[in-house]
Amino acid sequence: MNTIKRRCTGSTPVGLLNADQHCQNNIIYFRERNLDMLKKDLILRNPLRLIEHETEDILPEGGFGAVLSRAGIGKTAFIVQLALNNILRDKNVLHISLADPVNKVSLWYEETLRNIALLYDIKPIDKLYEAILAHRLIMTFQVGGFSVPKLAERLSDITEQNIFRPQMMLIDGLPFDDTTYDSLSELKVFAKQHGLHVWVTIRTHRHENESPDGLPLQFTGVSDLFEVAIQLQPEGEQIHVNLLKGKSIATSNTQFFLDPATMLIKDSM
Amino acid sequence: MKKQIELIRNIGISAHIDSGKTTLTERILYYTNRIHAIHDVKGKDGVGATMDSMELEKERGITIASAATFCKWKNHEINIIDTPGHVDFTIEVERSLRVLDGGILVLCSVGGVQSQSMTVDQQMKRYKVPCVAFINKCDRSGANPSRVIQQLREKLGHNAIPVQIPIGLEANFIGVIDLISMKAIYFDGDNGEKVRIEKIPAELMAQAEETREKLVDAASIFSDELTEAILEEKEISEPLLISAIRTGTLTRKMTPVFMGSAYKNKGIQPLLDAVTAYLPCPMDVENLALDMDNDEKPVILSYGEKDPVVALAFKLEDGAYGQLTYIRLYQGTLAKGDTIINIRSGRKIKVGRLARMHANQMEEIESIPPGFIGALFGVDCASGDTFVSPGLNLTMTSMYVPEPVISLAIVPKDNKAQINMSKALNRFTKEDPTFKTHVNEETMETIISGMGELHLEVYIERMRREYNAEVTTGKPRVAYRETITQMAEFNYIHKKQTGGSGQYGRVAGYIEPISDQEFVFENKVVGASIPTQYIAACEKGFKNCLQKGPRMGFPVTGIKVVLNDGSSHAVDSSDMAFQAAARGGFLEGYRKAKPVILEPIMKVVVEAPTEFQGGAMGSLNQRRGMIVGSQDEGHMCSIEAHVPLAEMFGYSTVLRSLTQGKAQFTMEFSSYKPVPKNVEEDLIKKVAEGKKHVA
Repeated sequence: MNTIKRRCTGSTPVGLLNADQHCQNNIIYFRERNLDMLKKDLILRNPLRLIEHETEDILPEGGFGAVLSRAGIGKTAFIVQLALNNILRDKNVLHISLADPVNKVSLWYEETLRNIALLYDIKPIDKLYEAILAHRLIMTFQVGGFSVPKLAERLSDITEQNIFRPQMMLIDGLPFDDTTYDSLSELKVFAKQHGLHVWVTIRTHRHENESPDGLPLQFTGVSDLFEVAIQLQPEGEQIHVNLLKGKSIATSNTQFFLDPATMLIKDSM
Repeated sequence: MKKQIELIRNIGISAHIDSGKTTLTERILYYTNRIHAIHDVKGKDGVGATMDSMELEKERGITIASAATFCKWKNHEINIIDTPGHVDFTIEVERSLRVLDGGILVLCSVGGVQSQSMTVDQQMKRYKVPCVAFINKCDRSGANPSRVIQQLREKLGHNAIPVQIPIGLEANFIGVIDLISMKAIYFDGDNGEKVRIEKIPAELMAQAEETREKLVDAASIFSDELTEAILEEKEISEPLLISAIRTGTLTRKMTPVFMGSAYKNKGIQPLLDAVTAYLPCPMDVENLALDMDNDEKPVILSYGEKDPVVALAFKLEDGAYGQLTYIRLYQGTLAKGDTIINIRSGRKIKVGRLARMHANQMEEIESIPPGFIGALFGVDCASGDTFVSPGLNLTMTSMYVPEPVISLAIVPKDNKAQINMSKALNRFTKEDPTFKTHVNEETMETIISGMGELHLEVYIERMRREYNAEVTTGKPRVAYRETITQMAEFNYIHKKQTGGSGQYGRVAGYIEPISDQEFVFENKVVGASIPTQYIAACEKGFKNCLQKGPRMGFPVTGIKVVLNDGSSHAVDSSDMAFQAAARGGFLEGYRKAKPVILEPIMKVVVEAPTEFQGGAMGSLNQRRGMIVGSQDEGHMCSIEAHVPLAEMFGYSTVLRSLTQGKAQFTMEFSSYKPVPKNVEEDLIKKVAEGKKHVA
């Protein structure tokens, strides 16, 4: 697999796609690739496939995943890449932001996709971006105005009219305090009912010590609700992607990083 | 003209349509002795309200153009701009607010804070216009001023504090209690002109005291003296309380609320007192101009009478005496015979006649002092122009002009109408920056664009009435485009040898899509298989094909032609022959290159109360819209979507009916995208039908 991957990453028009026989027999030029091929190619090249399996999600339906880090390290960039990975597989992603307006969230997607395209030398980026738009919906709430019943109401507005039916939900900017457990429990029930895979960002603080089990304080009270927890930890010039909870990465020996320049996930230094 | 600037008030009256702004203005003019009879907006006497000077306004019961007028109240001179309440005329409201120092926000005691109230409130915020609120129609069934005050706080975020409480409501509404003087005010006489001040009725005393306490408490934040008086339990004097409320109002941290019924002539005189007491004089407002000589550095204007003139033209009207230009003086005094310069055009202007307006009547004056609103006659300028004394190079900050959202094709009925139409369009575009016009090069139709269907409708009506220009309107044609989606080769021989001189040319190469340019031609011919002198003819031939796409006749964009081979004949080849060969080659390649039709996609943002979010999203979805996201902003939400322009006609009406008129939308061009197959089929049918009609 690694060999195929390396051969696929050239800028010359080689047609190494998702199957060995394609690599051997057919040459498909870049300009003739259709969007599906591009998507499959990106999925294959994305190191995230090692975190999220190619065919199944790291989270079960109704499962919760957490991305923890201090402010400004790259939580949003990370979840946007998780979202893109799912969108490329034609899954619908609902991105809920309690911190940024719609335009800014949109910009995150545009920038991240542009960086990915640059990294893998993919040309028709506009078409690809347009194609992903149909699988993404952004909702922003004021921090005080966000609640599970409200979300349920908004979601039923769009699902009943067949406007959008999400399979994955990202919640960015949710404040974690004493009342969070109850609302997250409520959200868990909701996610199970709707078969959603939910990723939540959690902001940790530099000055706070970790709890005895090594988890950030904000996370300890709610950790039982989460199947997976990933921490972004800056060490020197690198941002390490560490798994705090969950199995998938533990089985792999690969160490992941966030490139501080592009905020893209990579699996080697 | 009065020269004491402290006694001048430039105010605007803004509100939702049908809240009674024009009626209120009419009453103000009556009580200030500017008019001697009251005519209602939709009055049976057929005269109409004084401020609705345009025939059309009187007929429809809405105010279209903001008529400026002035009046005197207790030694103060008040310049009033009556502003339209309909969302389609927002530029009028925006322009008025730009030159005003204060505003009266009129709210209906039954309807409360409606969508347009929100819009005008946002506009007031943008221009930092301090305001007082007037809850009108307290005599109407269902009147509930407390609810409106609550909405002012919750929906508009105002620190709304009642300065009055009503005496009775609905049919029993007879007057108001002034919480500052703690007196009951009644309005007697046929037209409420006699103000009778009495003691507060005993049954309302407790309520009055409680509300006053809240008022004093709210006002104390703005005055240390008042706070001290409260703490020391001293008697609070009227001037002290008024001064504190004024400070709060000027900083927009407090909105004093008044109530009454303009139609029933109640509560207007205390409102006029409030305008003079709480709203700013021109000197209370800091106005900035941009220094063109100094990198547009902001300059604070002085309001000095003898300083050089800085004035802004904020409204133009075409009257019997030529163009009437409404101006606001920010600095210096403008007198007859002065020379001023229009900063935009650089043209020198000699000031001729000066006037101040009273709706459609005018009074000639000798000079306009600083802070005043007046009018110039016969000056050729556009709305938004800055006038200054020679030697200055200042411009007033440009006004925010929203982009037009809707277009319509218009065709004059005859030659006479054509001439009149162009005159009218010339005038309207000068008067109203949101109204734009252009000739569509493809269809050769005149297209007018504006802020909404009603906006355009009114201009068409005005063309008919004021300029005698009969026009027919059509559904505007969406500017579709064609393009190709893949590379395709061509190899075409143009050969004609039937009589006369022959024609011969062969072109070969390929065409492919490009995303960032309209057309690229690349010559890769080697070995002079096509002689160099014919290459330009080939390019011309290809280029000509782009004007009318082979698929449906729409212009072709995003195409690259690479010419790499060909052949010629020593005698029969010519420019003509190679142009024809290029056309043939293009058609051959185009058919193979999977052509598609592109349509303009608009970025649409709908702002609606949250309860209508689902409905608004559904309406966009039905219009082939792709919802990008929704933003929750408390009581309001905004929904962003990408919707094909072809689906957006009539949307304002749909949205209004869907949301009880509480939602509005903006629209701007985003990109061109391929039309879905089913829509393309419909388009093909329409084009075929159109061709049949032509045939």
